[in-house]
Amino acid sequence: MNILLIEDDMIETMKLQRTVSKLQLKHNIVEAKNGEEALNTLKEATPLPDIILLDLNMPLMSGIEFLKILKADDKLRYLPTVVLTTSENRADLLECYKIGIAGYIIKPLRYEDYESKLHKVLDYWNINELVRA
Amino acid sequence: MDSKEVILLKKALERQKRARKQAEKILEEKSKELYDVTHHLKETNSKLENLLNEKTSELDGVFINIIDPYVVMDLQFNVINMNGSAKEFLGYDHTKEHLNLSQLVHPDYIEYTFESFQSLIEVGTLKNYRAKIFTKDQSEKWVQINSSLIYDAERKPIAAQGIIRDITQESEIKELLSEQKKQLDIIVENSPLGIALTVNGKIVKVNKAFETLIGYSQQELKQMHVKDISTPEDKEGSIALLEQMNQGEIENFAVVKTYTRKDGTCLLAKTQVSAVRNGEGKEDYQVAIVDDITAQKQLELQKEKLLLELEASNQGLQEYAHIVSHDLKSPLRSINALSSWLMEDYKDVLDENGVFNLRQMQEKVESMDRLISGILKYSSVTSDYQELTSVDFNQVINEIKEIIFIPDHVQIKVPEPLPSLMADRTKIHQLFQNILSNAVVHIEREKGLVQIEATDMGSHWQFSIADNGVGIPKEHHERIFKIFQSAGTKEGSTGIGLSIVKKIIDLYQGKIWLESTVGKGTTFYFTLKKEL
Repeated sequence: MNILLIEDDMIETMKLQRTVSKLQLKHNIVEAKNGEEALNTLKEATPLPDIILLDLNMPLMSGIEFLKILKADDKLRYLPTVVLTTSENRADLLECYKIGIAGYIIKPLRYEDYESKLHKVLDYWNINELVRA
Repeated sequence: MDSKEVILLKKALERQKRARKQAEKILEEKSKELYDVTHHLKETNSKLENLLNEKTSELDGVFINIIDPYVVMDLQFNVINMNGSAKEFLGYDHTKEHLNLSQLVHPDYIEYTFESFQSLIEVGTLKNYRAKIFTKDQSEKWVQINSSLIYDAERKPIAAQGIIRDITQESEIKELLSEQKKQLDIIVENSPLGIALTVNGKIVKVNKAFETLIGYSQQELKQMHVKDISTPEDKEGSIALLEQMNQGEIENFAVVKTYTRKDGTCLLAKTQVSAVRNGEGKEDYQVAIVDDITAQKQLELQKEKLLLELEASNQGLQEYAHIVSHDLKSPLRSINALSSWLMEDYKDVLDENGVFNLRQMQEKVESMDRLISGILKYSSVTSDYQELTSVDFNQVINEIKEIIFIPDHVQIKVPEPLPSLMADRTKIHQLFQNILSNAVVHIEREKGLVQIEATDMGSHWQFSIADNGVGIPKEHHERIFKIFQSAGTKEGSTGIGLSIVKKIIDLYQGKIWLESTVGKGTTFYFTLKKEL
C-alpha cells in the first residue's frame, strides 16, 4: 500500500516507520509535515496514495482544514483518510465524521499499544479493495 | 278829490281787502294745523300714559311673580321690600320685623360683603356676589346675588335691589366633586406609571410621571398627538389596534412600544390602552398607562450579553483545555516511544539498573498522562454539551462492569432494578464509573461486595453505592471531592475522579456524601434531580 502520512512530529513519523519495518509490512510511506505540503504532494503524486493517515493538530494548516479541502476535490475525495490523533475532543471527532473520514484512531500512550493499533489499521486497509488511481 | 284820486284809493282799498283775505286764509290754515297738532299730541300723550301704566303694572307683576327671592334694601342694608319667595327663603318678613341683611352674612364673608357693596356703589351694579348666609332657622345657605342701585330724581342712589339665588346644593356638589377630584389627582399624580388621557389620539391630559417619562410638559403635550411621541416603526402596530378599539372590537390592548422623548432619546414602555365609552357605547376617551421598561430591557439585554460572553469564554476554556492537553500528551507519547526503543534496541548493553530506570520513567510518564486526561475530563463536565435522553441506569452499570477492571474476588450487585432518568448518558457513565472503579479496587477482604441501590425521594432519586472495603478515615470525607485530593494509596490515583463525580452531581442539582468505617466499608450516597 502507498500510505501518505501527514504528521508534523518527527518522532510520530519514526513510530510509524518503525512499526511498518518491524512488522515487516510491505508498505510505502510518503511523509508530509502539514496539510499544505500534503496537498502539494497529492497534486504531483502518481499514483495517488491508497490511504491517508492524518494528524489533526498541526501548524499552518490543521488536519480538519486539510480534510475540508480534500473532500471538496472531485478526485481526492475518494481517498480513504484515517485520522490519527491525540485529541479526544468530541467536537473534533464529530466534525471529522461530518466532513468524511475512514476512521478515527486515538494515539495511545504506550508505544506497544500504538504498534498493535496501527498493525490492525494497516491490515484492515490492506485487505480492502482500494480505488488505486 | 278828483276821480283819478278816487280810483287810486279804490284800487288801494281793493288791494288791502285782498291782502287781508289772504292773511285770514293763512291764519285759518295755521290755526287748523295747530289744532291738528294739539289733537295729535293729546293722542300721543294718552298713548304714552297708557304705555306707562301698562309698564308699571307689568313691573309690579314681575316683582310679585318673580320666582327667585327679590329684595330691595336701603344703603344701610335695611330691607325696604322683599317678595314672597325671599320671605320664604330667608324666613323673615320685613313687614313684621325689622331686617338688616348684613346681619345674615356668615362671619367669614363679612369683609367680602362690604367690599362687594363698595363696588356696587361705585359701579352701580354687582354681579355674581357669592357668600354663605344664615337664614332665620340658623341653617347655612350658599347664595349668589346679582344686584343694582336705585336712584332718585337727581341721580342720587337711595337703595339697592337684588335677586338672590340659592346655590347651596350646587356648591355642595361642587365641593364634593372638587374633593373627589383632588383625591383622584393625588392618586394619578403620585402614580409611578405614566398616565395619559386622549381623544382620538390627541392628548388631553397627562400625569406628572408621564411628563417625566417623555420629557414634554403638560402644556406641550396638549398640543400633540400620540403619533408625535411614537417612534415611526412603532406607529403601525399600535395604530391598527387603536383602530380596532375605535370600532368597538376590543376594549383594551397592551403593547410594548418605543416613544421618542423631547431630547430625542428613546423610551421602551409597556403601554396599556383602554377605551372609556359613554352610555351609548361611543368612545369618549382612551386611557393609556405607560410603564417604562427601558431599564428592565437593558438588564435583560445585559444578562443575555453576559450569558453569551460566558458561553464563549466557557467554550474558549474547553478549546484551551484540549489544546493544552494535546500539547502535553504528545511529548509524553514521544518519551514513551523513545524509552521503549531504548529498551528494545539496547537490551544487550543495558544492565538491570538501566532497565529499572527506564521502566520508572515510563511509569511516571503514564501517571502524568492519566493526570492530563483527568483534568481534561474534569474540565469537560459542563452543562454545555448536554444531550438529554432517557438513561437506563441498569444498562449503564452493566456497561461499566464490562469496561473497568474488577478484581476476581469482588462482585457488583444490583438487588432491585434501578430507575431511568432524563440525563446525559456520558455524564452518568462517568459518574458511576468513577465511584465504582474506586470501590472495587479498595477491597482487601476475601469476598468483596459492591451494592448499588436507588430510593425515590420525590423530586430527586437517591443512590447508594456500598462496599465492604478498607473504608475512608473521617478526616478525608470532605477533602476527597476536591480536585487533586486523593485518599487512595493505590498507584495511578490522580485525585480527580471524585471531583468529576461532584461536578456532575452539581449539574443535576444533587448532593453527595458518604458514611464509612475504616476496615468495614464505605457507602457513597448521592442524589440526582429528576427534572432539570
